[in-house]
Amino acid sequence: MTRAVRTPTALDDVDPQRRVRNAALTLVALGLGIVALWALQSVGSTKLTQALALFAIWGVATVSLNLVNGTLGILSLGHHGFMLIGGYTTGLLILSEEARGRIESSARSTMTDETLAISVANLLRGLGLDGLTTPETLWVRFLIAIFLGGLVAAVAGLIVGFPSLRLRGDYLAIVTFGFGEIIRLSASTRVFAPLTNGALGFPGIESEFGKSVWWTFGFLAFTVFVVSKLKYSSYGRAMQGIREDEVAAEAMGVNVAYHKILGFVISAFFAGIAGGLWVSWLGGVRLDFFLFQLTFFFLVAISVGGTGSITGVLLGTALVVFVRQYGDPLEETYALRTWAMAGGVLLLVASAALLGFRTLRRLRPRVTPAVLAVAALALVVLLVAAANPAFLDGSFRGFGMRAIFLSVLLIVIMIFRPEGMLGRAEFSWAGLLRERRSEPTDEERRQDAWLSNPALNADADHARVDAAPDAADAGDARTDREGGR
Amino acid sequence: MAMLEVEHLRKSFGGLTATNDVSFRVDEGEIVSIIGPNGAGKSTIFNLITGVYRPDAGDIRFEGRSIVGKKPNEIVDLGIARTFQNLRLFMYLSVLENVLVSQHHKMRSTWLSAVLRTPAYRRQERAARELASEKLAFFGPRLMSFRLNQPVLVLSYANRRRTEMARAMATGAKLLLLDEPSAGMNPKETAEITQIIRRMRDEGGYTIVLVEHKMNLVGEISDRVVVLDYGQKIAEGDYHTVVNDPKVVEAYLGKKAETDEGAGAGPRETRT
Repeated sequence: MTRAVRTPTALDDVDPQRRVRNAALTLVALGLGIVALWALQSVGSTKLTQALALFAIWGVATVSLNLVNGTLGILSLGHHGFMLIGGYTTGLLILSEEARGRIESSARSTMTDETLAISVANLLRGLGLDGLTTPETLWVRFLIAIFLGGLVAAVAGLIVGFPSLRLRGDYLAIVTFGFGEIIRLSASTRVFAPLTNGALGFPGIESEFGKSVWWTFGFLAFTVFVVSKLKYSSYGRAMQGIREDEVAAEAMGVNVAYHKILGFVISAFFAGIAGGLWVSWLGGVRLDFFLFQLTFFFLVAISVGGTGSITGVLLGTALVVFVRQYGDPLEETYALRTWAMAGGVLLLVASAALLGFRTLRRLRPRVTPAVLAVAALALVVLLVAAANPAFLDGSFRGFGMRAIFLSVLLIVIMIFRPEGMLGRAEFSWAGLLRERRSEPTDEERRQDAWLSNPALNADADHARVDAAPDAADAGDARTDREGGR
Repeated sequence: MAMLEVEHLRKSFGGLTATNDVSFRVDEGEIVSIIGPNGAGKSTIFNLITGVYRPDAGDIRFEGRSIVGKKPNEIVDLGIARTFQNLRLFMYLSVLENVLVSQHHKMRSTWLSAVLRTPAYRRQERAARELASEKLAFFGPRLMSFRLNQPVLVLSYANRRRTEMARAMATGAKLLLLDEPSAGMNPKETAEITQIIRRMRDEGGYTIVLVEHKMNLVGEISDRVVVLDYGQKIAEGDYHTVVNDPKVVEAYLGKKAETDEGAGAGPRETRT
């Protein structure tokens, strides 16, 4: 029996033959990734394993934040609040018996017997599932706890989502920031102190999940699966329509209120999951684990990677996590002379990068006064450092240099590539293999014949004078002939 | 049967009455043009029908049911879609995606089945893509093939207008409100769009209400013309009756010089 091969049309995102190849490549890459992960965590240091796990946890947070910031186009600054809710819920639900005992015997504890009895283990016991309360089945309890944490955060997302229906732009960003802070501050108040143990939090959360690459990358894969499938579905298109033009989206039948709230709720759910993993990674829950700084790091990751792209966001997250985990040398004490040398080299690199940028963009003149000035400054700094004058004796501790580094990185990206490293493009095999169609398809040939026939087409007269620069109105830019997207 | 009935519609913005006691009806399969000088309240009528504004008084009935107070997206569900005078496309989405967004409200699958790509969702997605290409095919092959996957951002002005019309058609509406479909187009393109609007009625089965300034387009395709001035309906009828109506001539060109004195009609002339 022969199977009819459907001819590819432009209606398909990727033509069917290529889709099979792409799926195969993806499977191979995933397999290699798993092997690499296994090799890294069995050979590498604890520090590396922790960095990988942190990348996955923050990846869950950034990808979910980008559902609101990138896809829905609403600047949300309250992600740390949702993470706090997920973190505290998970923490309280899986807190071990001895940790509960320590809190109970502590004089400064604000928790009551009732709130100390809230746990997944007690819930399962109540349901008669005693088999699931053993130490070996802790992972089942962790899964239940983190899922419930996500749900509670999603409820908070629903509440924060409502102002988003009436406010726009900067005003809404301030409201989301306010909500994030309200959540954090109310967690320390007397009302919630029996649940959160006030400023003390709960020490002693199991960290075998948050520090395991398998658990964290499993949750990351789950998040990326759901968010990317949503983004590239009809619902995601409707959300992007809201981002592009809210009035037009509503006039085309999109229920703006429903889709905004849907975006907020799903985003908050995954933020709650990230919060649960985060407290497990840290091994405890405290209010100062959920400062606004966390959301700031996520925003840097999103902006650097590219708000329109899930793979870009992950790339940005990897960068931020790398600087956070391996940036210690930046914050140590060095001789002033070393700092001056480093500054000179950085300036030299900046000058070369500017030159490279202008070459890449074919800007003329290639060597501008700015390039020369930066290079000259670099040379001066290097020469002064080499001369070793008396005022360079002494040393300096680069306290907070990591945050400065990230901020400078953000500034540079915003100047030279405001759409982020990947912009709106998603990683694709076609893009990686630089596939280009050299031959136009039959459909395109027919279109060309039609477009250039003045008897059929009102634009055809224009098409002929298209070469004239002032006829810009008639011709569309015909650039996207690449296969795949 | 009347598809759309507008009765004694009134809307003011502060002290300005943009629409004052306007009534008209549109029957199924008709092409009705609304004309009038700038500021006559033509676009306000569209905004009132599509639920962007709420009327202060009066009623709008679509297929016999009042649609006053419904949200814009609910009105699309009922079967009225519009285009905008100053193009409101989703600039960074592709041509195909633009025409797919307008079909989203017909989606019966929940977001969860969309994430899981259930067979029912895939079927609807496939059908939506086929309908999108069918509607884009109204404009010849120029929006097809590789154009489908280009962002609207790179399209020419005329092609953007066409994409917006295809997007409105794909909503599944029975009544299309086209706000100046030929604005910014050259005479050849205008002639083509005139044919396309006629084909939209004849082949697509749409009922069409136009707001338009180009009189040759209006004269060629309108079954009926409604003329507005200062928010009031001053004439209605077929094109030839309406353009020879002294009130309409006055609204467009001003009063004759001898009657102009003393009547305080000065500001009218400045508008022409």
